[in-house]
Amino acid sequence: MSTGAVHTSAVLPNGTVPPQEQGSDRAVVRAEVEDFLFAEAAALDEWRLDDWLTLFVPGAAMQVPTTDVTGLGPENAGYFVADDWDLVRARVKRLKSRKAHAENPHSRTNRLVSNVRLTERAGDQLRVSANFVVNRFRDGGEFTYVGRYDHLLQVQPDGLRFLLRRSVLTNESMNPGARLSFIL
Amino acid sequence: MTMIDSPGATAVDERLEVGNTLIAQDWEALTFKVHRSAYRENAVFNRERNEIWGHTWLYLGHETEIPEAGDFKTRTLGGRPLIFVRDRHGTVQAYLNACPHRGTILCREPEGRAKNFQCFYHAWTFKNSGELAALPDSDAYPQDSAFVESLSLRTVPRLGIHEGFVFVAFDEQVPDLLEHLGKAADVMSMTASIGPSGMTTVPGVQRYSVKGNWKLAVENAMDGYHFAPTHNTFVGYLRETGFAVNDDAQYAHDLGDGHGLAVLTGHNGRIGMIWEPRFGEREKIRTEAKRKELVARLGAERAAAVADSSKILFVFPNLLLFDLEALTIRQLEPVEPGVTDVRAWQLVERDEPDDVRALRLKTMASFVGPGGLATPDDIEAYEAVQRGVVATADLDPFGGFADTDLDWSDMSRGMADDLTGPRGRSIDEGVMRSFWRHWSRRVGELPGIGPDASRLGGVA
Ligand code: FES
Ligand SMILES: [Fe+2]
Repeated sequence: MSTGAVHTSAVLPNGTVPPQEQGSDRAVVRAEVEDFLFAEAAALDEWRLDDWLTLFVPGAAMQVPTTDVTGLGPENAGYFVADDWDLVRARVKRLKSRKAHAENPHSRTNRLVSNVRLTERAGDQLRVSANFVVNRFRDGGEFTYVGRYDHLLQVQPDGLRFLLRRSVLTNESMNPGARLSFIL
Repeated sequence: MTMIDSPGATAVDERLEVGNTLIAQDWEALTFKVHRSAYRENAVFNRERNEIWGHTWLYLGHETEIPEAGDFKTRTLGGRPLIFVRDRHGTVQAYLNACPHRGTILCREPEGRAKNFQCFYHAWTFKNSGELAALPDSDAYPQDSAFVESLSLRTVPRLGIHEGFVFVAFDEQVPDLLEHLGKAADVMSMTASIGPSGMTTVPGVQRYSVKGNWKLAVENAMDGYHFAPTHNTFVGYLRETGFAVNDDAQYAHDLGDGHGLAVLTGHNGRIGMIWEPRFGEREKIRTEAKRKELVARLGAERAAAVADSSKILFVFPNLLLFDLEALTIRQLEPVEPGVTDVRAWQLVERDEPDDVRALRLKTMASFVGPGGLATPDDIEAYEAVQRGVVATADLDPFGGFADTDLDWSDMSRGMADDLTGPRGRSIDEGVMRSFWRHWSRRVGELPGIGPDASRLGGVA
């Protein structure tokens, strides 16, 4: 059983072993991680989803735990999002379709990422945490998603990539109109 | 499923009767319409709170959410805060979550384990079995035991459990739970029999709210007609993973008393029962073994009924059981005419291998819930209905719109089948109609709401 909280091994919290490619043990400082996360936020706010996919190591996973359980992995608990790589890509394909009704028209989002910390480093893997506020507007309504990122990144010679992208909500529940039809 | 296919115990005419003028049913024209005030009026909502939520069995939760003595969850049903707890004797209890002293919310935690519940206001303390345990400075109170007993926690008037599903009622006079569940009881038993050592909920509850009337959530779950257009992108994902989807041989059953069942054979990859490519090769082998186990335990006929089709069961008024690729329990709690709180639990086989559990939970999350690939479009659909049904408010039968029946939603699809029995096609609207008929009989006439009956010749 994995806790999803801290991982030094090369095993994702969903039990799979991430693909190994072009890992690097070069040094990484916080500014690089911040740039990576800021660029990701911009890609998502601008709905450049193909660009966003290039930020992942193929085979990576994405998770959003439910608001009551944050310590268990998706093999032990109900989740909002427990995507393997197939599902991450299916999600992007879906969201690019005009027939993703829940996001047609798209939500307008504005993301603030801060409190970025590099919490662990093992070989080419880097555990990163950050806080986020995602403001989402649609249908004349607005909702604020507050939480923290708990990502596992792979350090590559030319940059960083997601091995596990995990958004942990601080909200007590998804309030009216707050469905997670976009990428949190 | 012989039992479900057989004619209902309810007399046909009674099953087809409507109870208020918010439903316009015309057997000659084969039209069935629901007045849109039913989705938006406070007066309707208040009547539902009284007549339905106040006097019917309501789904509270699953026994496995509180496995150990002292385990509790707090939860709201029909607007009443409750404590759902397994007491020191191992008995499942539901208390009104309010201090008998002055009404303070007694337990302010969403969940936990407790021997006692202490009110923070004046520190009265209650055992998890309900008795008053401590009363600070008690010398100012009468000293007899009758007085102390009168200060016990207030339990709900009725509590019943079927196959681990816990229901409560705020009215002593409701029929016994099994009588209320009727034919739905056996469908629940089928779902409960999937795991050789039973079923259990897992932690991680999807808690969300929708900006839509609770009845729209019921309609949506019982509405096979929307599947292809609304879930185009999800169907696309299924096709890409090598899975065909079709609408053939899919049925919807009126189970009586507002309960409904959709039986889907056209979209039926089922973990442990019917393999499909996206489940992976390992699961293929396990599915064969698991299916043999099911036949040995339940017999071939029952095993087929359990395993060969996906099912969506609605238990009037607040429980939906999605027995699909994997299993989800969904509970509805109306908050306002246009707002519904939803909770969803994943139901899994006890003692199943870790990789199967992981596959099951991933598969369900990929479809169901506000972050899935399908449910957000359902939510979009009924939130969009809620936004749209105000457009026609009060436009008929007045003025230039007098003959146009603008403020009604049409649910006539497949209506001729209603006369032949309680089974129709899942891509028709028969179960929605049976739900609305039952609803209208529970709610009764609402004078001043909806169409002015005196102006509406012959719609009722
Ligand atoms: S209100 Fe609870 S002890 Fe007084
Ligand atoms: Fe749907």
